[in-house]
Amino acid sequence: MTTTQDRIDRAPLPGAAELARRSNLGVQLLRFLMLNFTMYRLAKSSH
Amino acid sequence: MARVVVLGAGVSGHTAALYLKKRLGRDHEVIVVSPGSKWNWIPSNIWVGVGKMGADKVVFPLAPIYRRKRIEFHQAKAVALYPDGDAHNPRGQVEIVYTDPTRVGTTERLGYDYLINATGPQLNFAATPGLGPDAGNTVSVCTPSHAVGAAKRLAEVITTLKAGIPQTLVVGVGHGTCTCEGAAFEYAFNVEQELQGAGVRDKAEVIYLTNEHELGDFGVGGMTFNSGGARVTSEAWMESLFRERRMKAITQAAVTRIDPGVINYTQIDGTENTQKFDFAMLLPPFRGVGLKAFDRTGAEITDTIFAPSGFMRVDADYTAKPFDEWTAEDWPKTYQNPTYANMFGVGIAFAPPHAISRPYATPGGLAVAPAPPRTGMPSGAMGKVVAMTIADMILKGALAPTHHASMGEMAAACIASTGTGLRRGTAAAMSMSPIVPDNARYPDTNGRDPRTTTGEIGLAAHWVKRVLHTMFLYKAKAYPFWYLIPE
Repeated sequence: MTTTQDRIDRAPLPGAAELARRSNLGVQLLRFLMLNFTMYRLAKSSH
Repeated sequence: MARVVVLGAGVSGHTAALYLKKRLGRDHEVIVVSPGSKWNWIPSNIWVGVGKMGADKVVFPLAPIYRRKRIEFHQAKAVALYPDGDAHNPRGQVEIVYTDPTRVGTTERLGYDYLINATGPQLNFAATPGLGPDAGNTVSVCTPSHAVGAAKRLAEVITTLKAGIPQTLVVGVGHGTCTCEGAAFEYAFNVEQELQGAGVRDKAEVIYLTNEHELGDFGVGGMTFNSGGARVTSEAWMESLFRERRMKAITQAAVTRIDPGVINYTQIDGTENTQKFDFAMLLPPFRGVGLKAFDRTGAEITDTIFAPSGFMRVDADYTAKPFDEWTAEDWPKTYQNPTYANMFGVGIAFAPPHAISRPYATPGGLAVAPAPPRTGMPSGAMGKVVAMTIADMILKGALAPTHHASMGEMAAACIASTGTGLRRGTAAAMSMSPIVPDNARYPDTNGRDPRTTTGEIGLAAHWVKRVLHTMFLYKAKAYPFWYLIPE
């Protein structure tokens, strides 16, 4: 039986580009603005 | 003059009280009854629990806010409802017992025209023998004081690790029917980051122990979302994150007993296992706070108003049916009690019609079934729509609820912290719409709108979570234009 731990052990790791994207200040600043906008829109539209 | 009594001052009750007073003004009374004197921004308790934030940063006293907003505040615990009044007075009443130190133990009955039950959960540590800070075997981050205790214990474990002694840290849920797996997930990753920061990660084993059927379920049946332009399941997403952070995971587990240093759990195939630990933070299951209800003659009608779990029945479809027949339509829209139209149940206090994730059980019948989360964003939305409905009933004479916010329609965003710090912080930002999958509306995408069901990991998500901390404290303190900040 495949356990969750087996699946974790075989899971793909993020590549160098993805790791760089997650911590790049310029990219993350843009994502920060986008995430705030997305959350605001979701909250306003949901009730 | 109408009187609205709000039981509970958490996210849902406090939101309802503020909106009610804003709509009703000075012509009507809004009364809040809460056993605690302080408001707690619970999502940030995880940072208190790793020692990165003081407990004073996640709480503030309620009384000054309510005094400023002209909301009457009783620091007391509600114990019984009399929705038909008593033999002398047909007006609904709620019996409260003061926890306020100046009159602790004093009992009083408050009459009401409308009542909102936002009492939240009772932390049911007793459901699992040995679970929780009082039993002494595991810690918790459910309250600020629990989180302070968790941080202290974590610091001791780090000191032991620095002495070169390997330690096993287990974070997760302490019962087969727990909810709030997201909070346990967050705490696990923040603990892992603390260990990294202390330079002792290599000596520590960090294990996430959960009742979820697979990682990324979070009690909402998991998600399939857009991430970096590709469609990915939350399960695959989380497995990658666990591998990246060298975390282990045990899923499909119902914890049955905690002995000193040993967790006993059963998995859905019936196997009974043990896991040794040096540090364990396991969340408890929730149940209703134990409110009783009586009719005018004094006969108990608790079962009419509350589900067996102790949560209040509202306008949900409680018909028992198999998982494959569950629909988004089963979920409540107005949170009005079906027996008493002037009573509403919101936040964790309302009885859900069923779970969201597929429930499982061991061959012996032990439930391994995450309960549905009803916290945060949807909780605030419920508080607001019920406040608006009651205001319309009072001010406009509305006979039926005028506002709705079904979890089968509402979207929710979840920012799950996986580490803190302005530059080294990281979090998983997930949004889903709707919270309860609607397979009739979105048959090809697991019941959710693919345009608004998304996920990403990064520093930006941590910044968002930190901003939310500041914004929601601002809103909860009812500072100028607080109502412009959405729930």
